[in-house]
Amino acid sequence: MDRRTFLKIIGTGVAGATTGSLLMPVQSLAGESTKTKEFYGILVDTTRCIGCRRCEQACAEVNGLPVPDISEAANKQVFASPRRTTVTEYTVTNRYETEKGTIFVPQRCMHCNQPGCVASCPVKALEKKRAGHVIWHSNCIGCRLCMVSCPFDMPKFEYGRAVSNIQKCNLCWDRYKQGVLPACVEVCPTQALMAGTRRLVLEEGNRRIAANPGQYVDHIFGEYEVGGASHLYLSAVPFDQIGFRKDLGTIPYPEYSAGYLRAVPFIATLTPLFLLAVNAALKKGIEKSEPKTEEKHSGTGKH
Amino acid sequence: MAGEKLETVAVVEQPDKPAEIQIGRDFWPFFRKESKPKGNPATAFNLLSGVVVAFSILAIVYRLFAGLGSPVTNLSQLSPLGLWIGFYIMCGVAFAAGGAVVPFIVNVLGVKKYRPFLRVAVLNNLLTSFFCLVVIVLSFGRWWNIPNVFIGNGFGANSVMFIVLWVFLLTIVTAALQFRPAFAEWIGNTTSRKRAATVALGATVFGITLSVLQQTGVGALLTMAKGKIHPLWYSEMLPVLFFVSSIYAGISLLIMVDAISEKVFSYQIDEEYRNSRFDVMMGFAKICGGVMFGFFALSLIVAQFEGDFAFVNSEMGYWWLLEIIGFVAIPGLMFAHGAQKKNMLTIQTAAVIAMVGILMNRYNSVFLAYNWDLPFAERYFPSALEWIVTLAVVFVQIWAFRWIVNRMPVMRKSPQWAEKFDRD
Amino acid sequence: MRKKILLLVISVIYLILIAIGLTLVFSAGTPGPAAQLTAADADGKISIAHTELFGKLQRPHVIFDHKLHEKALENEGCAACHPVNDMNKIIFTFPKRIDGQGYKAAMNAFHDACIGCHKKMKAGPLTCNNCHKKELADVKISYPAAEFDAADHNTHVRVMRDRFGRGDCGQCHHTYDTKEQKLVRKAGTEDPCAYCHDLNKKRGPELAAVTSVAAGKGLSTRKVSHQQCLGCHLELRDEYQKMSNKDTAHNLHKDKVRCGACHLPNTKSVVSCTSCHIPTDCSKCHTGEYRTADDLRNVPRPYRGQKDVAYITIENARMHGVAFNHRAHQSYAKSCSSCHHERLKACKDCHSLTGKPEGNNVSIAKAYHSAFSPYSCSGCHNQMKAQKECAGCHYNIADVDVETMNPKKETCARCHSGRRDAEGMPQAFAVPGVVGNISINVLEKEYDSAVFPHADILRALTRISNESRLATYFHRDVQTLCAGCHHYSAGAAEAQRGLPPNCRNCHMIDYDEKNLNDVRLLSAYHNQCLGCHDRMGIAKGGGATDKEGDRCAACHQRKAGGPADITSLKNATVVKQNTARNLNAWRPYSKSVLENE
Repeated sequence: MDRRTFLKIIGTGVAGATTGSLLMPVQSLAGESTKTKEFYGILVDTTRCIGCRRCEQACAEVNGLPVPDISEAANKQVFASPRRTTVTEYTVTNRYETEKGTIFVPQRCMHCNQPGCVASCPVKALEKKRAGHVIWHSNCIGCRLCMVSCPFDMPKFEYGRAVSNIQKCNLCWDRYKQGVLPACVEVCPTQALMAGTRRLVLEEGNRRIAANPGQYVDHIFGEYEVGGASHLYLSAVPFDQIGFRKDLGTIPYPEYSAGYLRAVPFIATLTPLFLLAVNAALKKGIEKSEPKTEEKHSGTGKH
Repeated sequence: MAGEKLETVAVVEQPDKPAEIQIGRDFWPFFRKESKPKGNPATAFNLLSGVVVAFSILAIVYRLFAGLGSPVTNLSQLSPLGLWIGFYIMCGVAFAAGGAVVPFIVNVLGVKKYRPFLRVAVLNNLLTSFFCLVVIVLSFGRWWNIPNVFIGNGFGANSVMFIVLWVFLLTIVTAALQFRPAFAEWIGNTTSRKRAATVALGATVFGITLSVLQQTGVGALLTMAKGKIHPLWYSEMLPVLFFVSSIYAGISLLIMVDAISEKVFSYQIDEEYRNSRFDVMMGFAKICGGVMFGFFALSLIVAQFEGDFAFVNSEMGYWWLLEIIGFVAIPGLMFAHGAQKKNMLTIQTAAVIAMVGILMNRYNSVFLAYNWDLPFAERYFPSALEWIVTLAVVFVQIWAFRWIVNRMPVMRKSPQWAEKFDRD
Repeated sequence: MRKKILLLVISVIYLILIAIGLTLVFSAGTPGPAAQLTAADADGKISIAHTELFGKLQRPHVIFDHKLHEKALENEGCAACHPVNDMNKIIFTFPKRIDGQGYKAAMNAFHDACIGCHKKMKAGPLTCNNCHKKELADVKISYPAAEFDAADHNTHVRVMRDRFGRGDCGQCHHTYDTKEQKLVRKAGTEDPCAYCHDLNKKRGPELAAVTSVAAGKGLSTRKVSHQQCLGCHLELRDEYQKMSNKDTAHNLHKDKVRCGACHLPNTKSVVSCTSCHIPTDCSKCHTGEYRTADDLRNVPRPYRGQKDVAYITIENARMHGVAFNHRAHQSYAKSCSSCHHERLKACKDCHSLTGKPEGNNVSIAKAYHSAFSPYSCSGCHNQMKAQKECAGCHYNIADVDVETMNPKKETCARCHSGRRDAEGMPQAFAVPGVVGNISINVLEKEYDSAVFPHADILRALTRISNESRLATYFHRDVQTLCAGCHHYSAGAAEAQRGLPPNCRNCHMIDYDEKNLNDVRLLSAYHNQCLGCHDRMGIAKGGGATDKEGDRCAACHQRKAGGPADITSLKNATVVKQNTARNLNAWRPYSKSVLENE
């Protein structure tokens, strides 16, 4: 093989890789397009939440978790500092002191439209249901990459058990199948939580913002964050004051690893071709100069 | 442990004629004969490592029954990866990259002087990949489900972890194929040796491809941790950065293995190895120097591109500067200097610093710069048992390496009868 | 051997670096100790840093003791350090001049001025570290901005009148004639200083011509107020000091001031006249305390010929004119510039029906009705409505602005009366006879009934409304107050009886089968009661709200023998079956799809 053929092979390979990546569909590998499907969602109006923690209690009862003490005495301690969800608390209500006074915020899995956790799971143990629920299956291998990949740190791993599961809110999937509202929505005494199709609750959220100028920040958290989520939050103060991250961006998290995943077929097919081409191209030259190089070897070998 | 003979063997006998042991029939009697220790097993290193391994076995048994939590690991909800994954999947894979670089030089580029290092590199790759799987079993919470990845109980083909795990499995198979000549020469099976030679190039090419996928894949595992890893370490270019840094990581390890082998396995090392050794080290140093300079430049370009220099003047920024200058630029210069002045000690020192730099870089991504803005009390630091188990796995790997080197022709010359198969 | 030592040294260096690095890494999340901040009581000390001249400082800043230097240079006077302008007025800058441009020139000027004088006087530090003290590097001195409010203005007007005769405002006030290019002192053109000298604000075309001149001369508010106020005060101080003696002081202050105000307790010292009169100490003006509009309620406002009642009418406007009671409103504003945001002119001078460039193209309708602008009528009224006393009801009532859809006619007519004279204050209304306590039994299974003091609440709201002139003017009748809670207009039947609607008339106990988004009775009560209590800062019984207190028990006690808890879903009052049946209607997928999941 002469130099020209060699360059040709390389050139074809590079061109193939470039055009190939352009032709690949730009849709996320894990994501399900939001346009054609109606996800189920919950609108959380933080201006209405009174911090009674009934949602936490109902959630624990429905999911068979230890039921928390929600008496006033207990609340005093619980609200002292913001909490995170745990393996036994799928939802937590936190208290924030803001420029507009005390605000309570219930926090749980956001059920992203294109969840990072689902995209990162090697065995599809986390599944995005067609209705929007992100639920966990027991074929999980416990690699915990979902915890790394979740922008909200929601999947929680049971460290202290031999058979350890990933625990998180499942948007009351079982109750949904029976046609019942999520437990937290059903018990909320102020209707701070509202369930329905994502489109419907988004509409209601926008209506509240429009109907009450100055009382909400003109933004629904979860509408566009990380490509959208099923939990949508309304707030009277900027969201970074009530424990939300502002740096999330609107790109769905699976997109961040999609670049690599798209490259995998090309690496897998083009690398061997490239290596074989190089080998074939060099072989002749090596054979010709073989005696020479050997001579040189023996020369330097005397060190 | 350098300078101490791990196992002392007076003479390495070189059978002139193949023993023609078939795998099925008479392998086990042969294996039983061979597995007896050669030399005195009661060395200081063996005792120390034995204690560590025994202790860690207890820890592992405890972990299987009581889970991953305290006291075995310090893992928490906010730092789920930890030391085991950080050391083996992140660093181990990088150090195994020599198993792709040397076959690339020898079998693809056809530079024969590196040939004596081929089997060492391949063996290292094989063992590291195998022990990576072992550590994966240890550190994954539901390890009994790991076969699900391979048998199709939910193919998560869109997952980076899926690709990484598959590549681990395939790497073991491929590295075993690449190592088959040594194995065949050990049992003295001509048919097997002949067949091994026929697939050599194919296995090499496949192995290199897998290694590229592996190095980039390990970086891609962290691409979705955007916002959790400090911006100086997080980048969407992580796969590329991990790939480039793995090249010098793998070679640095080979330089260290060479330095130690020269003392420990000197009775094994044949004339050809000894003769080409110096040249090869200089060649390695040139590659390392070049790649490290490239990595240094790439890191700076990525940092500039993503606007990360704004973070340099902070606690984490100083740590980053230490890593990028003290553990990439300086050893890179030392490699270049050593290669120019033909100074072995400089190169070996540089290799050690470069390896520490790789450890730092990977640990930073996994836990030091991961959720770095948490208050001190919530930060992760590996527990004592995590360190011990990590050390134990390294010791076991050294045992395995030593056992194989002492029996199969890895560093020593292939037997006479096998040489004719290598005319490719 | 040398090699081994070298290796050892290298590894030790690396280990130390790693150790330091790790400490940094693990401390990254924990904030370090806060930088030391000292408040205004710096006792005349000034931090000389001038980052605008020097950028990043090579040495620590200098903490300059101004008082010490005043005392030392008592005979030489201020002109010893500060330059004097052509009108023989002292300009309070330092050093006297800087020759040339840039860092070096500025540094040399400072050093020459300070060290030159120190050498001449044979006093004061000469070496670097005695001024640039390392231990003071973290000390931060900042003086809060001084505010010259209506009360101060009034004092000055009174004093100046005694001194210079009636109506000589030109002692302080001036404007700049851009054509003649000089200062003009003309009665009737007096404007607040900040209009021209606040260089940070973007102004309209007319004012910008003046401010650009001020900016060109570097006449910032900070500079001119020191020059003008302090210059005058210093001149008068000496005069005052000479004039006063013990007897006149006693005569003047008798019956007006406590003895202890001047004769400090436990010491023999007596405060000087200038500590109250004609202050020259930094902390006397830079107090950091600002009077609010409430504090200034009864202080006479500056008079520049404004009418008591201005009839506002715009040619070709659709609405009736508004008789604007300027006199009543100015006592509720802190300063003229609270409304007159650019010049002391009428709104329509800059804003027209379609908007003019000098009014930033804001139309007159928007200028009066913008809901969020602090200068518009609506905006200011909205701010008032956001106060604690009003927010309980007004939080849920949409703000009125020019874009409000279908506003009530009577709402507009409150202002747009078309009458030329200001309408008098309407009569305050008395509390009508209404239902007293109402007990709410919705949750009677689990909780004792909640007693709702209907009459008390109405009484409290009436009191609040009657105490405020704004509320009295706009809430004409008690029905307006009712609508705060009874927010929907009455149905036909109730209207006949003249009663407002009941909560239960609209809010259902269960989820409404037809519209699941309707507010349920439970949340209607909780949102209305708790929301109002929170916004008005009222705990039950009238105390302060305590979000940590037992909020449930404040209204209803948990029943002892009743079901365990409302949230226990087995006992939930919500009828699940109904909900379940009808959820199908709004679920994203039909049942068959679900079964395939």
